[in-house]
Amino acid sequence: MLEARNISVKYGPRLAVSEVSLRLSPHEVTTIIGPNGAGKSTMLRTLNSGIAPVSGEIILDSRPLGSYSRRAIAKRIAVVAQEAELRFPVAVFEFVLGGRYAWSSTAGWGWETARDVEVARDVLRETRLEELSDRLMTELSGGERQRAVLARALATEAGTLLLDEPTANLDLAHQAAILALVRKRCDTRGMAALVVTHDINLAAEFSNHVLLMKDGKTVAFGKPNEVLTPDLLKEVFAVKVLVDAHPVSGVPRITPVHEVLR
Amino acid sequence: MLKEHLPQLQKFAGTRRPLAVLLSLGLLFAACSKPNNNKSDSQIGVHQTIDEAGRTIIVPNTVTRFISLAPSLTEIVYAIGAGEGLVGRTSYCTYPAEAQKVEAVGDTLKPSIERIIALRPQIVFVSTASQLEAFTSELQAHHIAVYVTDSHDLEGVFHSIERMADVLGKRPQADELLKQLRARVSSVAERVKSQPLVRVFYQVSDEPLYTIGRDAFITDLIKRAGGVSVTADVPGAWPKYSAESALAANPEAIILPTGGSMGDANSTVASALKRSPAVANGRVYKINDDHLSRPGPRSVDGLEDLARALHPGVFTK
Amino acid sequence: MSIASSTEVPAKDRVLRGIDEARATFKKTLLVCAILFAALIVVIVVMSLLGSEKLPAQASLCALLTFGKTSCGLTSDQDAILFDIRLPRILLGAAVGGSLAVAGASYQSLLRNPLAEPYLLGISNGAAVGTMIALVFMGAHEWSRPLMAFSGALIATLVVYRLAQGKTGATPERLILAGVIVTTFLSSAIVFVTTLMDATRIRSFTFWLLGDLSGTTAKLLWLALLIAIAGTIVLAAHARSLNLLMLGERDAFDLGVEVSRVRLVVFIVASLLVGSSVASSGSVGYVGLVVPHLVRLSLGSDNRITVPAAAICGAIFVVVADTIARTIIAPRELPVGAITALIGAPLFVYLLRRR
Repeated sequence: MLEARNISVKYGPRLAVSEVSLRLSPHEVTTIIGPNGAGKSTMLRTLNSGIAPVSGEIILDSRPLGSYSRRAIAKRIAVVAQEAELRFPVAVFEFVLGGRYAWSSTAGWGWETARDVEVARDVLRETRLEELSDRLMTELSGGERQRAVLARALATEAGTLLLDEPTANLDLAHQAAILALVRKRCDTRGMAALVVTHDINLAAEFSNHVLLMKDGKTVAFGKPNEVLTPDLLKEVFAVKVLVDAHPVSGVPRITPVHEVLR
Repeated sequence: MLKEHLPQLQKFAGTRRPLAVLLSLGLLFAACSKPNNNKSDSQIGVHQTIDEAGRTIIVPNTVTRFISLAPSLTEIVYAIGAGEGLVGRTSYCTYPAEAQKVEAVGDTLKPSIERIIALRPQIVFVSTASQLEAFTSELQAHHIAVYVTDSHDLEGVFHSIERMADVLGKRPQADELLKQLRARVSSVAERVKSQPLVRVFYQVSDEPLYTIGRDAFITDLIKRAGGVSVTADVPGAWPKYSAESALAANPEAIILPTGGSMGDANSTVASALKRSPAVANGRVYKINDDHLSRPGPRSVDGLEDLARALHPGVFTK
Repeated sequence: MSIASSTEVPAKDRVLRGIDEARATFKKTLLVCAILFAALIVVIVVMSLLGSEKLPAQASLCALLTFGKTSCGLTSDQDAILFDIRLPRILLGAAVGGSLAVAGASYQSLLRNPLAEPYLLGISNGAAVGTMIALVFMGAHEWSRPLMAFSGALIATLVVYRLAQGKTGATPERLILAGVIVTTFLSSAIVFVTTLMDATRIRSFTFWLLGDLSGTTAKLLWLALLIAIAGTIVLAAHARSLNLLMLGERDAFDLGVEVSRVRLVVFIVASLLVGSSVASSGSVGYVGLVVPHLVRLSLGSDNRITVPAAAICGAIFVVVADTIARTIIAPRELPVGAITALIGAPLFVYLLRRR
């Protein structure tokens, strides 16, 4: 379990995140919603110690985050970024195997064990990429590449998943697929997930909790139907919205109401 | 060419004939005449001569201002008593002591052209070892004669002394100097005549290992001193030498030029030679590098140093 | 590690198996390194038979194989040539070649730039300046040269690192830029110090600057070999981290790589390797550039295989180049750097065009 208490992050003189608290429990998906510059991604990056907060504390499995080594953190917290860094061509299988890095001991000189290969194959199966395993990452479509990024994160066998706008460049099919996979993992294997996204409806569909942020501060935290209300959303996004229940799933459905200028 | 101008001339001819003829004749002379050196030059006070690189140069009959761009040439200048006309030298020209009062124009590799030109010399003396080809053409553009010396052996050095003396008008002094030098050389030759040749390794530097080759004039000095350089047939003047070959050469004596301008550099024998008979028998000789590396009057000092080292028995002084 | 095969392999697994074979595995790496190492031994033995002085081939082989314990009919001069002059020089060449190639491979992976090379980053020049200071001001002491070369290399490394520090740390682009600045500055410093030297020293120093394996003592040789081997081991241990760093630093961090620590260790160890090489033999160019490329072209970009392979191939390259340098105009010698450049430059052009 990962918990952040009163985190504040500074970028120079500016407070990017101000006194935000969060708890990620197993079996739960939490989403962070907010306008650009709200501090969502910054908040996410403090959780795996990528960014150091100026105040507040982060507790991972009852111990401060700072007491863990880099590898230890990577075994427990995995990150799915918006886009993979692919400065060099690499095959999909090799890419996904990278997720096993934290599990290697230096005594093994960084060679993968049989277990590593097995785990990699399993996640490739789960993300339906096994047919593409020997292709180069750059040959894949955007959606396939994101599945590979997710596969790598899953290969770490971390208990907590942090996803930073994972569906930003994906088509509808892939958006649903990615989040469905995350949801399934949380439900069946007890993972905890944090998703930063612009897609409010997806958030409503898949999350247990929503954190609404603006200007680095928490505006609201709670279940989707508690947070995704017209008033709160208007306050944060300055856009009038209509909220009703999704006809099939029953979760809140948010429709923006644009004032059309004629 | 005249044929082309004929119609124009004919046109002129009609109007101002005599003048036209004179004009065209004048043009003809101007276009076709060559500078007549010998006759007209001696009227200004210069003459043609050929330097030791085979270059034909024009030098003044009386030289009162000149520059030397090599330590060896500076030593020659003072040895023939021409020191007062020396207005420029290199920073390495430190012998004799009076030379140090003369203005320095830079080092031997890249002297300052501006300084040289500012000193208004009539001639600049250059040694081939200085590789100044590009630089000599620049001086010539400023009408400063450049005399190149080129000596590969002791006789060549003596020849340079004579030629420089010719240019500087100090032939009698040079002849006297050469008489003395030649006497010393003969004396050495006499004494080592009957001695067995000593196989010598001349170490220019230990690391990297450099020695003298076929074209180095020190090879000639060693020969005259009753020795033979083990690297005498290696092409070039200052070859970088293989340690194996130095070891296999097994020289009887090793010469270490050091102590002069080199300071205490090169005062240890290269490790490849540590097993040689020369080291085993203690026949490692340090000789003032200025006596050996400057092809000038002190080369005879170097010759005597070498002879004394190689054949101590016949030089008991 | 090999996967136990079952008799019935489903289609999906067969696809994955195919990739396994194309990947760098522990077994494959061991095999490749064993073959390369054997080739190195053969090259060392054969090159020991070549030199400006002819040695009897059979007797020399016999003496080499018994590690000099029996003379096998060689005269004491021949024995001295073989074991006191040739072999140490060849071993030094192997150490220098291995060090430079492995350092080059590491820089290229770390900086994600195929042109990253010890010279380009100012480290060779830093070591050269250090050595020059030792030569000119501390001539007498034997250890002053390697010590000052290390110091020079390390100082140049740290200066480059400091210069390259931005908000996001020392990114590869900034490191390369800083390296170019430092290397050009130090080149001028070298020219300046050269002008302070007298004419005789300049000639020998210029030769050394171009790479010269002829001057070495037993102590320096052991130091160079030790550093080459230790450095290669340390860098090979970081090979997997380098693999991840090559893809991108943000993701490498997320996956558990201690990015700053790995950067620093790799940079410093590679610089020590370069410093050690330059102290022994001046700047031998192109080894750190061409050898890693060739290795990557043949074996792929996985650092776990390219780092040790580059070390061995670099050693072979310099040993062969030095043999050419010391035999082609025998008994005179050429600087080994001239040969590595003559071979390396056209080879590099060829490699570039292949891409």
